[in-house]
Amino acid sequence: MAFTSDLDQITRAAAGDPAAVQSLVHRYSPGVLALATRMLSDRSEAEDVTQETFLRAWKALPGWEPRAKFSTWLHRVALNLCYDRLRKRKESLPGELPDMADMALAPHEVLDQSERVGAIERAIGALPERQSAALTLCALQGHSQAEAAEILEVSVEALESLLARARRTLRAQLLEGRTSA
Amino acid sequence: MTEDRLFELIEIWGADPDAYPESERAGAKALLAAYPQRFAAALADARALDAAFAQLPDILPSAALTEALIASAPKPASAGAAWRLPKFAPWAPASGFAALAAGLFMGLMIAPTASAASDTDDVQALLEQALGYDPAALTEEIAP
Repeated sequence: MAFTSDLDQITRAAAGDPAAVQSLVHRYSPGVLALATRMLSDRSEAEDVTQETFLRAWKALPGWEPRAKFSTWLHRVALNLCYDRLRKRKESLPGELPDMADMALAPHEVLDQSERVGAIERAIGALPERQSAALTLCALQGHSQAEAAEILEVSVEALESLLARARRTLRAQLLEGRTSA
Repeated sequence: MTEDRLFELIEIWGADPDAYPESERAGAKALLAAYPQRFAAALADARALDAAFAQLPDILPSAALTEALIASAPKPASAGAAWRLPKFAPWAPASGFAALAAGLFMGLMIAPTASAASDTDDVQALLEQALGYDPAALTEEIAP
């Protein structure tokens, strides 16, 4: 049903129907922005990625063929733009990548709510790119297994492997250090 | 659903069986209900991580970003655009040349048929009307 509704709105948006454009933006921009923000750990860059993603979407609308869900396609474009930016960061700042050890919480640390949230966000941001993307799509945004695998262009088995490794790393950093105090 | 697979699902998807792949959900729920103690520790571990994720605030676009996204979208075709000429019509220069050629041709055809005398009279009349006097008469008065 959502698929048909998407197609109808895409057709109308391609013809410049303002209501359809607004609907697509309101429905999909939060997910795209959230994915980019988690991946890049930088709100400003994430907004740039969101704008670029939608610009590409508008260009693609007139010839749109529903081989994939619009949402899947949009998130894949956003993710690839994030990968590009992360690669450029690594090239320009090879010595300034975050140290994974810095992300772990010391056992004695007592954190307030905002510090805890900051620590979780930093830990997710410090995961390897594909693990971070898999976790964001599944655990934080609620994408289905099949849709997340399609966005990441991996098999379902590979997606599960990424998720398991991501959760193990985060558990070690966020929970085990604190509970061992 | 095997026990090993259920441990994997808990590790991958967390403590809530509703988050598991649809095809495995019912089997996982049945096994969890049958042996709650066997999976209690794994579920508690997963629940703690799920709770940490739940603390993360929603990330929402600002009004400015939303406006910018909408503004970047295709614009609607304006009413009557279908019959309006495009900004550049490839045939427009050709039609201009055709009109020029036709004008020159008509001029050449008409010019020889006009009588010189009648032209002079017409010009004289026009001059008199415009100046308010007859310049030919003035020329005659000045002439020695």
